[in-house]
Amino acid sequence: MTDEMRERLSRLDPMHSGVPVEPATSESSRQLLEGIMSTPTKERAGEKPANRRTWVIGVAAVAALVLAVAAGLNLAGEGGGEPLALNAPADDPMAICIAFSPEQLAATAELAFEGTVTAVDGDTVTLSVDQWYLGGDDTTEVVLNAPQGMEALIGGIPFEVGSQYLISAQDGTVNYCGFSGPATPELRSGFEAAFSG
Amino acid sequence: MADIDQGVSSEHERRRRFEAIVDEVFEPLQRYLRRRVGPADAEDALADVLMTIWRRIEDAPSPPTLPWCYGIARRTLANQRRGRERHLRLVRRIEAQPAPEPGHDPAEAGPDPELSLALDQLGDEDREVLRLWAWEQLEPREIAPVLDISVNAATLRLSRAKKRLAKAMAGQSAPSSGHRQVEGTQESR
Repeated sequence: MTDEMRERLSRLDPMHSGVPVEPATSESSRQLLEGIMSTPTKERAGEKPANRRTWVIGVAAVAALVLAVAAGLNLAGEGGGEPLALNAPADDPMAICIAFSPEQLAATAELAFEGTVTAVDGDTVTLSVDQWYLGGDDTTEVVLNAPQGMEALIGGIPFEVGSQYLISAQDGTVNYCGFSGPATPELRSGFEAAFSG
Repeated sequence: MADIDQGVSSEHERRRRFEAIVDEVFEPLQRYLRRRVGPADAEDALADVLMTIWRRIEDAPSPPTLPWCYGIARRTLANQRRGRERHLRLVRRIEAQPAPEPGHDPAEAGPDPELSLALDQLGDEDREVLRLWAWEQLEPREIAPVLDISVNAATLRLSRAKKRLAKAMAGQSAPSSGHRQVEGTQESR
């Protein structure tokens, strides 16, 4: 009965073996694979692979950093003097970058701000909030904790005291995959476009 | 657990290992993705999955690697879905449009409409474990790493899903289950 059910279910498979798929040896597959294999694998990032279409294969490029927010994300609602702490868990290598667009940023971010780094201390970076684009209320300070070492976890974003950064977070995670980074005019206009409504 | 830490240190070895995994998983991964999302999303997801495999090659188990790769694919699709849902919510908010009526998607008259309909009535979790079993042809010990659960949990989940599927099928053929039907009958008289 079970085998019969499995058999019957398998007949509903829209991608049964008779449906052709792209072989790994086709030209476009090879292009894709070569693009991936030419991506640096250590978390120094910065470079994007020769990718196709819109996927930011930055997964790798940016070390696919999804940083979990420490101690629950009650920060979004709570303001006041408490600094907002963002943390990096030890083992979440699984994260995927989605291509940057203001729409995507607006759709995914639950917190977004521009801040100036006031301190880089070993594995923490402290930012003073210059402007909240989304959420945050009157929180004025954000601390990024990266227990395993910043160089591995900040996806190639060089945090320097005195420099400004744009940071977005969602679902208790900070997204470094192109959705956060040094406050370049380009990224800032992306943030402005995303949250101008 | 064959450890490959040492070998992978060289770029050449890393590429060799990636190519070997790709040989094993490239086509099944495409099927896995296309079973769950449309062609464009599947294409995007494939690139992301392969990139994750490349990045995490040191973590790859010794063959068969496919269940591990399906696990990556599952998380990739979940990410893609979350992004999409948020985006849709935002668009709806902006346009002040109500969400479309859910579930009015008359099971396309496929080869087995009765079973399709029953499958549609199940929760996502049940449906997914059944697909992994019947479409990806995985056994519970292989389903476990895909879903990130223990083998026992996978066995249990599959068995429950099968029961619920059988029940959904039985429900279809037993017309007495509908309270509404009774009312309808009364009204029509």
